[in-house]
Amino acid sequence: MSTEQFLFSAWTWNPVVLIAAGIGLAVYLFAFRAERRIGWFLLALAVFLLTLVSPINSLADGYLFSAHMLQHIVLLLIVPGLLLLSLPRSLSLSWRPRILARPLTGWIAGVGAMWFWHWPTLCNAAVTWRSVYALQTISLLVLGTLFWGQIIAPRDEERLSPPGAVLYLFSACVACSSLGIILTFSPVTVCSIYTMPVSDRLGMWETIRTGWRFTAEKDQQIGGLLMWVPMCFIYLGAIFAQIARWFGEAPAARPVTQQT
Amino acid sequence: MNEIATVLDRAGILTPEQREHWKMAWLSTVDHKRIGILYMVTGLVFFVFGGIEALLIRLQLAVPNNTLLHPDTYNMVFTMHGTTMIFLVAMPVLFGLANYIVPLQIGARDMAFPRLNAFSFWLVPFGGILLHFSFLAGGAPAVGWFAYAPLSETPYSSQPGVDYWALSLLVLGIGSVGANINFIATVLCSRAPHMTLRRLPLFSWMIFVNAFLVILALPVLNAGLVMLLIDRLLNTHFFLVPGGSAIMWQHIFWAFGHPEVYIVAIPAFAILSEIIPVFSRKPIFGYEFVAGSTVAIAFLSLGVWAHHMFTTGLGHTVDLFFVASSMLIAIPTGVKVLNWSATMIGGRLRFDTPMLFCVAALVQFLVAGLTGVSHASAALDWQTKNSYYLVAHFHFVFVGLIVFTILGALHYWIPKMSGRMLSERLGKWSFWLMVVGFNMTFIIQHFLGLAGMPRRVYTYADLPGWAWMNMVSTIGAFFMAAASLLFVWNLIVSLLHGRKAGDNPWKAWTLEWATTSPPPHENFHNLPPIRSRRPLWDVANPDRPDPVVGSRGDIDQFRPERNKTSIVAFIISETGFFTVLILAFLYYNATPQPGPNPHELDLFKTGLFSVCLFASSFTIWRAETGLRHNNQRRMIGWLSATIVLGGIFIGGQGLEYWHLFKSGVGVNSNLFATTFFTLTGFHGLHVCVGLIALFVLLGLALAGDSKKRPWPGLDAIGLYWHFVDVVWVVVLSVVYILPRIR
Repeated sequence: MSTEQFLFSAWTWNPVVLIAAGIGLAVYLFAFRAERRIGWFLLALAVFLLTLVSPINSLADGYLFSAHMLQHIVLLLIVPGLLLLSLPRSLSLSWRPRILARPLTGWIAGVGAMWFWHWPTLCNAAVTWRSVYALQTISLLVLGTLFWGQIIAPRDEERLSPPGAVLYLFSACVACSSLGIILTFSPVTVCSIYTMPVSDRLGMWETIRTGWRFTAEKDQQIGGLLMWVPMCFIYLGAIFAQIARWFGEAPAARPVTQQT
Repeated sequence: MNEIATVLDRAGILTPEQREHWKMAWLSTVDHKRIGILYMVTGLVFFVFGGIEALLIRLQLAVPNNTLLHPDTYNMVFTMHGTTMIFLVAMPVLFGLANYIVPLQIGARDMAFPRLNAFSFWLVPFGGILLHFSFLAGGAPAVGWFAYAPLSETPYSSQPGVDYWALSLLVLGIGSVGANINFIATVLCSRAPHMTLRRLPLFSWMIFVNAFLVILALPVLNAGLVMLLIDRLLNTHFFLVPGGSAIMWQHIFWAFGHPEVYIVAIPAFAILSEIIPVFSRKPIFGYEFVAGSTVAIAFLSLGVWAHHMFTTGLGHTVDLFFVASSMLIAIPTGVKVLNWSATMIGGRLRFDTPMLFCVAALVQFLVAGLTGVSHASAALDWQTKNSYYLVAHFHFVFVGLIVFTILGALHYWIPKMSGRMLSERLGKWSFWLMVVGFNMTFIIQHFLGLAGMPRRVYTYADLPGWAWMNMVSTIGAFFMAAASLLFVWNLIVSLLHGRKAGDNPWKAWTLEWATTSPPPHENFHNLPPIRSRRPLWDVANPDRPDPVVGSRGDIDQFRPERNKTSIVAFIISETGFFTVLILAFLYYNATPQPGPNPHELDLFKTGLFSVCLFASSFTIWRAETGLRHNNQRRMIGWLSATIVLGGIFIGGQGLEYWHLFKSGVGVNSNLFATTFFTLTGFHGLHVCVGLIALFVLLGLALAGDSKKRPWPGLDAIGLYWHFVDVVWVVVLSVVYILPRIR
């Protein structure tokens, strides 16, 4: 299959995903009406669908480790973040059980999701069995929500204070980057199923290996680098937002020129 | 020495009683102001060394095919020049300046830990002497300031020079971490009552942010140095074939080295942010952006070190990611340059010497930034990385920005330290000599580099254009030397005969100018009200004060207990150290090697001892509870139990080592053994340190010390002890469990 053919035909119109998205939208509309924040929700929905329906999903499904990593990052860090942003600011999360409201829980959820699903056995299992894959997708969304809940809970008082949030995000960044560094430079294959395809459902191996020149090593390297660099930048972006929040309440107007 | 003493006496830094014992007054001081001055004087002394080395380098390169220096001597001089200028000049002087200014700016009486402060300082001369002693011990290091493996390994550098280099950097690194833990604790815990975190003057804010960068980056270097020393002294091969990786050294070195650039640049930014507004007679433009972009720079700098390694063959993919991320650093730096420029626009500029140095630094830093961004492009970097183009670039950063701002800062703050103004006439002379000399030396090196002259060479052939360009560069270097001499002359003359400075000669607005010059021992008799970022402006202009910077309540008032704060900072730092060792273990053991392997370890026994260690986390928590309930006996009981459990763990570790040694497994058997002993050994060392601390606590408690007053030591040591346990959880899983279930 050539690249163009692939881009046009490799869309996986998974009914479960589509129905879940539809239900999600219905619930959102029912609960919060179509207020201004629905933009965030639609964005979250669009990103969610793109990751799970577009050719990225086909690639992640047994072809490319790096595509899987992209999916992983988007589902863990971007979709839950956008979802939380879409909630009205007045919504309280105080109904959370106390254990889920603790920063340490959120941190372990976010970082653990990264390390846990890249354990070689689990990483391979997620590609082999649909059920594990479904479990992985759901768990990423849930754990990501737990992680971001500490930073962008709808109510300001339920968020971490800016300095605490910076520490929280930075340590998470270091913990995830370490794994990224390991994946990038590891002389051994972490997710072996991507190097030895079980089946070439789409007839894409030829194109990927010779057309795109994605060797197995390069694939894992890109996967590791995605986790090391761009993913860290998501955390850093959030850190910058925290700094903006920290200085945000400073007085805006001040005299331009003052002389003594 | 006596002359210096007289000069400092005249300046009124010592009281009459101290003058009698001036040697002791300086040697035994724990006062942040005197320690700050000691730091700066030490930096100045080493600046002379490093400067002479620079002149020797330039003399050797003045003409083609020169034979002034032997190639080996040249390599030594050039290694020592780099190492000295960074670790013994830039860092001590900037830390010294911060040491003097930060407590004054935040209205504190002293640093949070005066004795730690003195200890951190005295490690600087110790490290410096250790480094220079190598000249007597068979030759200085000749491997460049980056000491790339395998050149720095025993087979290629058999002289002990590299050992001295590594040891001295280790000493200096520990000193830097100590000093910066102290900065963090000082800013967080010792601020004057209304000096909220968002009212901090930019200088103090940036030193505070920079301190985090130091405690994160230095341990990475320390871990690398430890590995290098183990390689050299115990015949292992972390960075040597077979099995080892020379690239690993580069990763570790640059994971430290890139942040290091910012460790010395952020204080320079801090100085610019302080001086430019004062001499523009305007508040800084966009305080929030300057402060925020500092944090951005600090974080970004930690993640982009691989751009120093484009030429090592990391591969196209890796290069691509780091090209993109490295270019991003230009954004927050650009924000700062724009803010400083915007501060000057529309201001009533006063070009006194401090401002002249800062404006020159701003312009030169812009050039450095532009050439820096050009290096972020891998393709260009391949061409210019090993040429004088790069030499020119980083000297524009280190001299053009940092040395210039330091000189600006000294002209600005020495009146505060000595009570006497420096001479403006001599200052302007040294400024212009410096600007001309600096630009003569280094602008032309860009072109030399583009013409193909490689760096790190002791001489060069007489190729077209190279000779005169090098000569220009050498002449420029002597202009700079003249400027430095003039500065020292200015310093001495002005300290003796300078005009009295008064409290606030520059009409500046931060708290250090609210006290006398030099400040009294206790810094302030009383503080002006602090409602904004420029308290002295508010005092001078009560009819149009700065807008009040509001307080966000708890966060701004955040004033944690200092022992706990320092231990948390220390834990952050040690996490960096262990992260490197653990990553190294994972990397070197990714594939099984011939010889001893993880399966030979006794998981069962170690598991038992580990349970003891984990249980000790529980017992120390119980001891803390005992203290909180004021139950001395229970506290002492649980504390003793903690010591016993920790002792059992260490004993178990010793037993395991003994069995391994008996079966012929030594630290140099293979890379598994090396990494195993390094990782568990350093963990064991941390347990031992914890045990010593616990023994001290126990002794104090038995002597009844814990009854008398708030006793914060136990909580702090408890935190450290939990950290040691958490590290062991990771080590246990990585070393003992992971290889079995893979």
